[in-house]
Amino acid sequence: MGEQRSGGGSPGRRRAHPDGVTAGPALVLDDAELEALLSAAVLRGHHRDADGEQRAVAAFVAARDAGAHKARTRRRDDWRPRAHRRLALSLRTTISLFLASLTLGGVAFAAIGTAGSSDDSADDKDRPTPSHSAPGRPATEPSAATSGTASDRPNHPAEAKDIEAKCRAYDQVGGHGKALDATAWQRLVEAAGGADKVAAYCAERLATAPAAATARATASGGNGNGGESGADNSSGADNGSGAETGSGAETGNGGTGQGEGGDGNSSKGAPKKD
Amino acid sequence: MRAHDGELGAAVARAQEGDEAAFAVAYRLVQPALLGFLRGLVGEDAEDVASDAWLEIARDLGRFKGDGAGFRGWTATIARHRALDHLRRQKVRPRASALDQDVLLDLPGPQSTYDQALESISTEAALDLVRGLPRDQAEAVLLRVVVGLDAPAAARVLGKRPGAVRTAAYRGLKRLAKQLGVQGVTDDGPRTLGESK
Repeated sequence: MGEQRSGGGSPGRRRAHPDGVTAGPALVLDDAELEALLSAAVLRGHHRDADGEQRAVAAFVAARDAGAHKARTRRRDDWRPRAHRRLALSLRTTISLFLASLTLGGVAFAAIGTAGSSDDSADDKDRPTPSHSAPGRPATEPSAATSGTASDRPNHPAEAKDIEAKCRAYDQVGGHGKALDATAWQRLVEAAGGADKVAAYCAERLATAPAAATARATASGGNGNGGESGADNSSGADNGSGAETGSGAETGNGGTGQGEGGDGNSSKGAPKKD
Repeated sequence: MRAHDGELGAAVARAQEGDEAAFAVAYRLVQPALLGFLRGLVGEDAEDVASDAWLEIARDLGRFKGDGAGFRGWTATIARHRALDHLRRQKVRPRASALDQDVLLDLPGPQSTYDQALESISTEAALDLVRGLPRDQAEAVLLRVVVGLDAPAAARVLGKRPGAVRTAAYRGLKRLAKQLGVQGVTDDGPRTLGESK
């Protein structure tokens, strides 16, 4: 067998060794040759069967016209290469991961806003930044406990303000996407319910925004972030629930919910601030 | 037949969009191998079984997903189920094999070369040889060699692991080669599908 494999000569020329005639194993063909010849032998006898073809096509037409071809693919009907099937599977996974990341990303995005804004906020001078102090020194002062909780739910009142800030930015840049960072822009579009609705949405938001927030935003140098940070850091335990609804509310009712949270915080922020 | 996989895949795709002419093309590309496979399974009833299988294929074509090679595997699975139903209806009575002495006498004598033997072997003789194999080997050989499936696809048709199918096909081919080598020298009687030796 080895000899024939290595030889690989054309099948037509190999002749059986005379001694091998009665000793089959000595004359084993190359597997590929045997397969090819066997296959050819089986298929050679095929004659075209027009009747069978017509029946099959008629059945096809009947099924097509009856709408049977819209039936769902079952597992046993999926003969795509394994990699494709895995890809299809992972597509499903990717979509759910993407949705999960949108939710988590909302939290993370808001957290970034707080961490950044807390540095320049007024009351940071009075007490340590919550996000940094919380793990580091747990019980040095009573406020450490509150700051610890504050660091867990830092930001969410910010979201409503955030949208307003973005709306203002949107007004300023005249809707040119590059001026806004993509995530922020997408979240704004998401909140508005469509890219084409952003302008109307923003107009409404800015019109209904609490006067205090607008005043603060303009007072603090027109910087949206400055306005937010004041509310953030003054936020108490209530903001925790605000944060949760905020992250869960990606789908659209978040706008109003967060708006309320923002109002609550701004009013509550005042006593705490001094 | 593997050479036609691209053409077959395109025809299937068009048929799935409702093109009946494309379905006829797919039929013509698949039917010879499918019928060969079925003849190895159920003998002369193969045409009836194939006809049933094609009705199911025509009905379920919209469900299928895959390329030309995938289509051959999918259709082979359907055909095999129809064949097993058919055999069950026959109470799994082993067919009286069509391998009679006439067929053996048609085969070239031992003095011929193997190539000549195989080249001149009739379709019936080849199928009878395959039917003489144990069932798992016969099916593995038919799917690999006649239908042209690779081991994973053949394994999927048979509901086995690829390794098991490779082994069965290898043993079956080895046995066929041996039988061809001793053809006319030993007469081991009528062989039927499913009979283990």
